[in-house]
Amino acid sequence: MIASAFLRQAAVVAKGMGMPDMAIAEYPGVPMVESLEDLQKKVEEELLPRIVSGLTSGSGTTAKAMSEIEPTQRAIVFRGSLEEVNDYFQRRLWSDGLPIIPPTLAKVDRFLQFTDRDPNEVIGRVPVANRLATVWNIAVNGVMSGCRPEYLPVLLAAVEAITDPAYKIEDAGSTPGWESLIVVSGPIAKELGFHSGQGVMRPGFQANTSIGRFLRLFLRNMGGFHHAPEGADKGSIGQSFLVAAAENEDAVAAIGWQPYSVDRGFKAGDNIVTVQSVVAISAPVYTGSENVIEHAEIIADVIGQRACGYWTAIGMVYSHWHPLLMLGPSIARVFARAGWSKDDLRNYLYENVRIKASLAQRYAWYAGPTGFRIEAEVKKGLLSKAYAESDDPDRLVPVFQKPEWIGIMVAGDEGRNQSKGYVSNHTQGPPVSKLVRLTANWQRLLDSS
Amino acid sequence: MNNRTEAGVPAYDVVWPLGRSAVLHSTPNLPLQDLTGKTIAELWDYVFHGDRILAILREKLAARYPGIRFIPYEVFGNLHGAQQRQLLAKVPELLKEHGADAVISLVGA
Repeated sequence: MIASAFLRQAAVVAKGMGMPDMAIAEYPGVPMVESLEDLQKKVEEELLPRIVSGLTSGSGTTAKAMSEIEPTQRAIVFRGSLEEVNDYFQRRLWSDGLPIIPPTLAKVDRFLQFTDRDPNEVIGRVPVANRLATVWNIAVNGVMSGCRPEYLPVLLAAVEAITDPAYKIEDAGSTPGWESLIVVSGPIAKELGFHSGQGVMRPGFQANTSIGRFLRLFLRNMGGFHHAPEGADKGSIGQSFLVAAAENEDAVAAIGWQPYSVDRGFKAGDNIVTVQSVVAISAPVYTGSENVIEHAEIIADVIGQRACGYWTAIGMVYSHWHPLLMLGPSIARVFARAGWSKDDLRNYLYENVRIKASLAQRYAWYAGPTGFRIEAEVKKGLLSKAYAESDDPDRLVPVFQKPEWIGIMVAGDEGRNQSKGYVSNHTQGPPVSKLVRLTANWQRLLDSS
Repeated sequence: MNNRTEAGVPAYDVVWPLGRSAVLHSTPNLPLQDLTGKTIAELWDYVFHGDRILAILREKLAARYPGIRFIPYEVFGNLHGAQQRQLLAKVPELLKEHGADAVISLVGA
């Protein structure tokens, strides 16, 4: 049973699962805003006959199986001017609305010089269209996105992350409209010219911007996550691609904190790429005072309560949630000077940011999980006992499920007292980190590029 | 080959930007002739008032098809929640165990 607005997405998913002829019964409308009477009427008069028809004759709204010609890797599929190539790609939904760099053999081959991996190596399968991501087509899409050839190892690591089953990329088209955020750690960030300072999340620096763009383009092309007209991406409002970020590891080292790469389980100095979902971004948070608690209070209020407080409900539904705190360097310095580690800040947020259970439940219901009950999840062991310490519906429960699930990185303007919160989308897109694999002659290649 | 178009501007020979399909095709079972006496499994993702919809469907289908039986969604659990993958993996075995003839799965929205 599929509601009207999701029929196209259903067709793409059915085709991607090898079941293009699956019988689909359309529910006409938006179930979440119907009155009980209207729901009853629609189910009886419209949905029920479609269900009976689907079960007994296999008919209904179905996807059509289409045979597709798959060119060989190095085959030329089109020849034209820059404008003609862009028009051709745009018409076939191979682009993202921005001009692309034509992926010629020469350009792709230049990219491939920056890896010693076989171009045919399959990095992973990308649902929902279920196309295979290979070193070759990652390079092709890297060319198109305006990446430099030397970015290829980072692109490969990013695709390894999103095709890891833990990332649940098959849910990238869900209605919250989440986007993937790439964070690069290690010496490679500086080697490739990543920016981690003022305006870190703005387009402008080629590494940050083109790599951020690459990931969204790759998801459209390999995963089928177009929005209109194809519809595998059902982000209701959605958001643009996020530029890739890098942590300011000099600032982190200066205050004696461990870098984000170590938080993620690697060694300081490892080159890693972490990808995670972002469904919303907080207001810019300004904190002041030489008293660290005053900084913690405002961060807890604006990022914890206001930005995360609403979406924590969905985190509870799925018992999994990884918000990311991007601390300005001067703010991180205040915490470190007061003897706080990243864990101390995590624990403060866990202990001090709460929401009424009844409100969280209401938020969850309106988003769709009408079967969600906090107490039931505690009984199943999916939420801790802290969520059901009493029967009082207005009892306060933690916004952050586990302190260790709060990511903290340091970036942004060193000259301003600003931080921001990045709200993730529960089990969809938890942070996944992969090592960046470099060739033995990496430095020589880099020097020649 | 001349690397200019007829208009004299640079021409680009470009490659395919997509990847090979890894779709495994499956053949659907034949539809049921009739729902009389059949066992219908309910799969629900615990969203969008699916429980209310299923309650209405159960009532109406039972009135129309004698002997029709339903495997309630609670048997399969929340197929979109925290334990999605574990529970989905158990669905085929549960369908067989409970003798399901067909499935109504909801809600895609």
